[in-house]
Amino acid sequence: MRFLMRRLGFYLAAFAVAITLNFFIPRWMPGDPTTRIFLGLRGKLTPQAMDALRASYGYDGNLWDQFMVYLGNLAHLDFGVSTTNFPEPTSSLLFYSAVWTLLLVGLATAISFVIGIGMGIYSAWNRGGFFDSVFTPVNVMLNAFTPAIVALILFYAFSLQWRLFPLGRAHDLGIEPALTFEFIINVLYHATLPVLSIVIVTFGSWHLGMRNTMIGLLNEDFVALAKAKGLSDQRIRYRYVARNAILPQITALALTVGYVLGGALITEYVFNYPGLGKFTLSAIQARDYSFIQAQLLLLTASVLIANLISDILNLILDPRLRSRTQE
Amino acid sequence: MKKIGHLLAGVAMVGIAAGTGAAFADDGDVVLRLMPRHTDAHVENFNPYNYGGPSGYVQDFAYEPLWIYNVFHPDQDFPALATSYDISDDLMSVTYHLREGVKWSDGEDFTADDVVFTFNYSKEHPDFPIGFDHYNTETDSGSITGIEKVDDHTVTFTLNKPDSLAHYNIGIVFPLPEHIWSSVDDPKNFANVDNVATGPWTQITDFSRGSFQMCRNPYYRGNDENPIDCLMFPQLSGNEQVIAAITVGDLDWAGDGMTDPEITYTPKSEYNHYWLPPDGDTNLQLNTTKKPFSDLAFRQAMSMAIDRPTILEISTFGLTTETPYPVGTGKFFEAWFDDEALAPYKYLMEYNPEAAAAKLDEAGYTDQDGDGWRDNPDGSPIDFDMRVPSGWTDWVNTLQTVSENLQDIGVNAKLRTMEEGAWFDGYPTGDYDVYIMWGETHATPWFIYKSMFNPGSMIPGQVREQAMHQMRIPEIETLLEEIAATTDVSEQHAKMTEIHKLVAENLPVLSMFANPSWYQYSTRRFTGWVTPENPYVRPMMHGGVHERVKHALSLKPIEGAQ
Repeated sequence: MRFLMRRLGFYLAAFAVAITLNFFIPRWMPGDPTTRIFLGLRGKLTPQAMDALRASYGYDGNLWDQFMVYLGNLAHLDFGVSTTNFPEPTSSLLFYSAVWTLLLVGLATAISFVIGIGMGIYSAWNRGGFFDSVFTPVNVMLNAFTPAIVALILFYAFSLQWRLFPLGRAHDLGIEPALTFEFIINVLYHATLPVLSIVIVTFGSWHLGMRNTMIGLLNEDFVALAKAKGLSDQRIRYRYVARNAILPQITALALTVGYVLGGALITEYVFNYPGLGKFTLSAIQARDYSFIQAQLLLLTASVLIANLISDILNLILDPRLRSRTQE
Repeated sequence: MKKIGHLLAGVAMVGIAAGTGAAFADDGDVVLRLMPRHTDAHVENFNPYNYGGPSGYVQDFAYEPLWIYNVFHPDQDFPALATSYDISDDLMSVTYHLREGVKWSDGEDFTADDVVFTFNYSKEHPDFPIGFDHYNTETDSGSITGIEKVDDHTVTFTLNKPDSLAHYNIGIVFPLPEHIWSSVDDPKNFANVDNVATGPWTQITDFSRGSFQMCRNPYYRGNDENPIDCLMFPQLSGNEQVIAAITVGDLDWAGDGMTDPEITYTPKSEYNHYWLPPDGDTNLQLNTTKKPFSDLAFRQAMSMAIDRPTILEISTFGLTTETPYPVGTGKFFEAWFDDEALAPYKYLMEYNPEAAAAKLDEAGYTDQDGDGWRDNPDGSPIDFDMRVPSGWTDWVNTLQTVSENLQDIGVNAKLRTMEEGAWFDGYPTGDYDVYIMWGETHATPWFIYKSMFNPGSMIPGQVREQAMHQMRIPEIETLLEEIAATTDVSEQHAKMTEIHKLVAENLPVLSMFANPSWYQYSTRRFTGWVTPENPYVRPMMHGGVHERVKHALSLKPIEGAQ
C-alpha cells in the first residue's frame, strides 16, 4: 500500500507540474494566436484589428494574470475557447476529436497487438522455420517504415487510383452520426485504410517483443518439465509459455494505450481524419493556447493513469513486488 | 509563397477513374463546391468580420460590399449595394447612391440607415475590424470624419483632407443589417448564426463539422439569373486532400499551393485545370539602416548578382512570374508601368555577376582581412543572414539561390530559416539584415507604395512588413499625397512613374518575382470559369478577392454532368 501511495503522490506532483508547464510552454513559443491569422491574410489586417483580435481572445494582459485566470477556469473544468475554431469551446472540439482518435488509434493498437502477439508466439514456437525466417525480418522492416510513406501509398493506391476506399473523413457527409448499423459500417469503411496504415508500422514490434521473450522462456526448466510430463504442445505453448511471455507485453500495452490520445498525426492528416493529432498540429501552428493546454492536460492525465494501471498490474502480477511493499 | 505540402513530393499519383460527384444533388439543387479555407472542423460562426475563419465563407457570397472593384479591368467595376458613387469637386467627400429595392435575407429593406449604422457601429467598436478608416483627432491619422444620410438611398462620407482614393477603402466595406446588429453588444464574439445578409447565398443548411451549405437568399435581386442553388464548403485540411477531392469530382473550385501541377494535377483528370496569374510581388527587404545595405552601390550590386531566371524556373518551380523593373511591384500592376521611362533601370534586374563584382570593387568592397570574403570599405567584415520561415519551400529555395549568387561574388550572405512565429516576431524590432517578404495587392499601386514608404511604419519596435527597409524618401511621400489629391488618371499615372523611378534609383527593396495566385477548377460540372483567354475577373476564391462572387455567378452547371 505504501508503494501505491508513494506512486500516487508522485503522479499528483507530476500533474501539478504539467498544469503549470502546459500554460507556459505554448506562450514561450514565438508568435501568438493573431500572428497566424495575420500571416494567413498576408497583411490584409491592420495593426489595430490585430490588437482587437488579441483582446478578443483574452491574450493581451500580463502573463501572471492570465495564469491565474487559467487556474481558476481549470478548477471549473473550463478549457476556454479555441482560437483556430473560434468561438467553439475547446472542450467540445477536444471531445469530438478524442472520440475519433480513440476509435482510430485504439482499434489500430488492438489489431496490431493481437496480430503481433499471435505471430510472435507462432514464430517463437517454430523458431528457424519458414514462417519465422520470412516474417520476422519482414515485420521488423515494416516496423521501420515511416507512417507517412505507408499512409500516402495506401491513400494513392486504394483511395485515389482504385477508388476502393474513401479519400478521407471519419464517415460520409450525408450520414447523421447515430448508433445504427449503416453508420457503424460506414465508419469502419472509412477507418479501414487509416487503421491499416498504423497497424502496418506497429505490429512488428509486438511480434518481435513477444517472440524474443518467448524464446527465452522456451529454454526454461519448467518447459522441459512440462514436455517431460507429456503435456500437449498446444497446452505448453499457450498455458505455460505464452502466458508468461505476455506479461511484459501487457505492461508495454498499458503504456501505449496512455499515448493513444496523442493521436496519429500523419495518418489523420493524410486521410483527413478528425483526430486529436491533426487538431493539435493546427493548434500548435496557430498558437491556439487553450487547445494546446487542454490537449496536453488530457495527454498527461491519460499517460499518468496508464502508468498507474501498469503499476497496479505489476503489483498484482509480480508477487515479489507485493511482498516487499507489505513489509 | 503559400505553404506547399511536402508530403506529396516523391510520391507520384497515377491515373484516376471517373468521379462520382454530381452537380445536381438528390433534391435537384445545383451545388457549387469550393474550399476557401483549410480547417479541421467547421464551426457555427458566420460573423463576416471574424477574420480567423468565417469571413472567408460569408464575405462576398452572403455579405455584399457597396462596390466591387474589378482589379483586372478597372474600367469594368461591379456596382453592388451602391449603384454609383461621386467624389465631390473638392475631394473632401464621397457620396454613394444605394441600390433601391434591396432586401435583407429576412425580408427587411436595406436602406441608408444600415450604412450609417455600420459606420457608427465600427466607431463604437474599434475592436471589431469593419474596416472604416476613421479619422482620429488625437493622432491626426485616418481619413473619414463622418457620414451623412442624404435620403433613404444616399449617403455621404466626409473626409479630413482632399482624397481621391478614399473610396477604395469605403467601397469594400460590407454593411451590416441594423435590425440585427444594433442589439449585439460584443460583435467580435458574436457568432451570427442566423446570417442575415443581402448577397446571392445566405441561408445556412446541412451544417456539420464536415461540411455546410450556404443556399439561395430568397430575396436576392438576381435570383432569376443565378442557376446555383447552394454553395457547399467541405471541410478539408491538406493540399493533398484538396487536389485529390477536385480530381475525383468532390470539389469544383480551389486555391491550393502546388509544386508540380503538370505532374501531380492536370494529368489526373481531364477536367482538372488551373491558372496561376501573377499576384503581389515578392521583394527582398534590405535593412538600409545597417551597413552594407546603407550604401546604394552595394544594393545595386546585390540586385545585379541575383540569378532571377534560375529562381523563376528552378527555385520556385516555374510557377512565379518575372518582374520587369526594380520598382518593388511587378506584373500585377503592369498597367501602371511606363516602359520607356523605366527601360534605363532594367539592367538592375539582369543577372550580371561580372558587373556586380566590378561595382563592388569600385565602391571599395574588397577583401581586406584575407578571409576570402569582401569587407566593408572601412575594413569591417560583411557577414549577414537572410531570413525566411522554414517550410515555405519556394522562398527557402529562392534565398538559397540568392546566397549562392552573392557568395559567388565574394559576399558572405547566408540563408537563415526560422520558425514562422519567430520570423514574424523578428521584424517589428527593425533589427535584422535581410527578409524575404510578400508584397500587397490592391486596386491601385498607390496603396502598395503608401505601405512601403509610410514613415509611421518605420519606427523601431513598430516596423511593418512592407516598410522593413526603413528608408524614407520624402519625394515619394509628396508624390503619394499629390496622387491622392487629383482625380486626373493621366496625372496619377505620370506621378506613379516618378515614384517608380525613385524606387529604382534608391533600391530600398530588391524586386524578385510575382507570386502565383493559386486557382484550380474542374470543368466536370460547371462551365464559364475564368481562363487566361477570358480573364474577366481575378479567379481566386479565397477571402479578400471580392470579385469571386461575380465569378461564381458567371458559372453555368453542365446539364446531366456527373
